[in-house]
Amino acid sequence: MNALTLVRKNLFRRKLRAILMIVSILIAFLIFGVLAGVYASFTAGEDRAAADRLVVVNKVNFTQPLPMAYYNRVRSVTGVRQVTHANWFGGYYQDPRNFLIVMAVEPETYTDVFSRDFDFGPEARQAFIRTRTGALVGEAMARKWGWKLGDRVPIASNIFSQRNGSHTWDFDIVGIFTGKTQQSDTNLMFFQYDYFDETRSFGKDTIGWLVLQTANPAENDRISKAIDAMFVNSTAETATDTEKAFNKAFAAQFGNIALIVVLVVGAAFVTILMIVGNTMALTVRERTREIGVLKTLGFTGGRILRLVLGESVLLSLLGGLPGLALAALATAALRPSVSNLLPGFALTVDIVAEAIVLMLALGLVTGLIPALNAMRLQIATALGRG
Amino acid sequence: MRSLLLQIAAVTTINLKSIPRRVLLSLSTVVAIALVVMVLLAFLAMANGFQRTIAGSGSDDIGIVLRGGSQAEINSTVTREQVRLVEDGPGIARGGDGKPLVSPELYLVVDGIKHTTKTKANLPLRGIGEQGFALRKGITITAGRMFNRGSNEIVVGKGLAREFDGFDIGSTVAFGTTRWTVVGTFEADGSVFESEIWADLPVVQSLFNRNNIFQTVRVRLAEPATLDELKGYNDNDPRMKLDVKSEAAYFADQSSQTTDLIQKLGWPLAIAMAFGALAGALNTMYSSVAARATEIATLRAIGFGGFSAFVGTLTESLLLATMGGAIGAVLTYAIFDGLSASTLGGNFTQVVFNFRLSPALVGQGVLLALIVGLVGGLFPALRAARMPIVAGLYA
Repeated sequence: MNALTLVRKNLFRRKLRAILMIVSILIAFLIFGVLAGVYASFTAGEDRAAADRLVVVNKVNFTQPLPMAYYNRVRSVTGVRQVTHANWFGGYYQDPRNFLIVMAVEPETYTDVFSRDFDFGPEARQAFIRTRTGALVGEAMARKWGWKLGDRVPIASNIFSQRNGSHTWDFDIVGIFTGKTQQSDTNLMFFQYDYFDETRSFGKDTIGWLVLQTANPAENDRISKAIDAMFVNSTAETATDTEKAFNKAFAAQFGNIALIVVLVVGAAFVTILMIVGNTMALTVRERTREIGVLKTLGFTGGRILRLVLGESVLLSLLGGLPGLALAALATAALRPSVSNLLPGFALTVDIVAEAIVLMLALGLVTGLIPALNAMRLQIATALGRG
Repeated sequence: MRSLLLQIAAVTTINLKSIPRRVLLSLSTVVAIALVVMVLLAFLAMANGFQRTIAGSGSDDIGIVLRGGSQAEINSTVTREQVRLVEDGPGIARGGDGKPLVSPELYLVVDGIKHTTKTKANLPLRGIGEQGFALRKGITITAGRMFNRGSNEIVVGKGLAREFDGFDIGSTVAFGTTRWTVVGTFEADGSVFESEIWADLPVVQSLFNRNNIFQTVRVRLAEPATLDELKGYNDNDPRMKLDVKSEAAYFADQSSQTTDLIQKLGWPLAIAMAFGALAGALNTMYSSVAARATEIATLRAIGFGGFSAFVGTLTESLLLATMGGAIGAVLTYAIFDGLSASTLGGNFTQVVFNFRLSPALVGQGVLLALIVGLVGGLFPALRAARMPIVAGLYA
């Protein structure tokens, strides 16, 4: 009988008790996995942000427009590799409740600046540049609404109107793009700014924001300052920031999601620490006599320590790993329905790694005191007790 | 019957008195259940506080007119011609001077710095018409004064002044190149308006280059039922094609999404955690039954029934759960009730709200605790009742 068999037999000596503990650990890790995914979604913008990308918005607030002329003026700043612009459209499909993320963009430069996030495909990219009414649709959005390449879709805006009074624009889907990383959400759509600007009834020659790529991220700071200085005291002053800082500030607007996640996960872990820790202590106490016998047979204190710790770590893994697997299933199942609220909601490799570290830590912490007690146990006391 | 009651009383007393022998395990159950209840109640108090702030903002006798399909004030645009058409509409109350009680408004988003995180956040700057104050209930200037017409002065809601930096009375605030003086703070019955900055409409229009542009029109209805007259008038005029709703309905829509989301997060989390706590409770109660095996068998041997063992164990479990539920509710009340927070609302701006725990919510929390206690005690109690006497005596 090797050590692992002994550990396993010990753990399942009281089957019901072992199963109950496994269930409580499983739930804690299920909660951890799902909430870590939610948190990752809130910080995805920050993680995904490219170091060489800057965002230029109106200093009043990013919902205020900028003059179209800024596009070329920013382009002329030294150290700027590429500039593009975008405008929020406030899109919806058929019913205002079917909210869509739709942006009017400059086709050629936008697909260039975001080529690291999305795989647009060279043909679709060319078609998008050529087709005035063309739109590029993310894979997730196309799947959700059953749209295919070549479809003509009517998309309404809750903000803009066409000059003929209509709120709806027709777009021809010229490409369906995929995300290049697990965190690039594809529940969004781009269409040509020129088509938008020519047809809308107000706001002509303004854009929402600029995104630029610097030739060297070390120069980000200088370039930001140069851009903001260029427009100081104009009617539309700018605020230029790294994409990362911008996304981080935006995520923070929803509230302190990190704190909420930490508190809930903390509560779940305190619960299992208490339950599992106490039960392990109880289990080892019940086995006092047996440990005495093992020691009599020549088991060293260190070996006993390892046996008890092995048992608590095994318990933690038996609960934690299936919990994590369930979290992966739950995340995959929830992903489509929460994609508007939580883009990039996923159980990432990082989360899995953190969870495994937590499992080991939980096993060691819950087993430590009983294991130390068992190690220090005197044979005479052990056999004499009870 | 009397002897059965006496038996139950005796066994329950023995059960409860033996809790100190398993103090750590019992305590872990109490703590586990308390934490479950805290998580549930904190989420429900958050949803409730948010919902009350938003939904409490609207009145039935105020109508709000927006661009068709725009859903939120921030998206809407209404032209001067449309404002005039609304003013001429039926069903609108009139002031002493015979003018309709109407407030065309402009709703802009400006940057502010959140006090807790020092990060930029979206704040609403509302340019209100002359009647703007009169069209909202319970508005009182609590410090300073009202802004003067035609000047770049602002008054700020109490919640906004609390959660965001730089809005003390007398200070100057810059939105882009425009500069504004804070001259007063106001209260608005805890409604969403307390999260807003108000200024004179024409000044906002001119400083933000939005001359002759409006976003919404608020009207005081002669009575709530006259909303339909105004709707009919709007639907029959092709120049309007606007959305006409009661302010109450508008804000109810605004709150539902966020409130739903918080509740949809809170309940599944609490239920998942309740299963974890249930495993703990079962574990504790099975240990309790195992530890008292000899005792239970002895009682059975001297004539006590299985039912009294059942009730005793179940009572112990329910008592632990009740303690957990009560501790969870009290701690949630102490820590979270009244806690001020802000999040992005339906208008893409910060809404300041307070967590609000209500007796009904506490009831839900305690109910969840009792369910855990009941299920967690039921199976061990059955085992206690069915335990063979001989096996117990040799345990």
